[in-house]
Amino acid sequence: MAQLRQDYQEFTGRSAEVIAVGPEGARKFAAWWHKNEMPFVGIADPEHTVAGLYRQQTRLLKLGRMPALMVVDRNGMLRYEHHGDSMADIPGNAFILSLLDRLNQE
Amino acid sequence: MNANSKPAPAPDFEAADADGHRVKLSDYKGKKHVVLVFNRGFM
Repeated sequence: MAQLRQDYQEFTGRSAEVIAVGPEGARKFAAWWHKNEMPFVGIADPEHTVAGLYRQQTRLLKLGRMPALMVVDRNGMLRYEHHGDSMADIPGNAFILSLLDRLNQE
Repeated sequence: MNANSKPAPAPDFEAADADGHRVKLSDYKGKKHVVLVFNRGFM
């Protein structure tokens, strides 16, 4: 999240919005979001509604939800999805920014 | 890395953001790309 916050302008400069989805309840999530001054959109999803739509994985032995990242293009099409195998398995910003560059060239 | 060779329509959703504003994925259609990040948790 810190890296996303740091590079957020790189995303907006590529005509992209970032929406982060977390498992916490709305009140706890909002408190954390405001305390950390996150500049993009954050959604609390305690019922797993949005996460379920996008098949975010849950691993009991790894104590909860696994990270995932999707890119939806401006036509509403799901162009990229990554389901992490570990807590650290999430694409870097450079990769996602290059993907956005490619989408903007279409 | 799983770039979608056959892109499909992204499932739409509507939810409240941290400020209580309604956010609907399809509201971005025709305007912006959206990067959806699913975390284990923030706390």
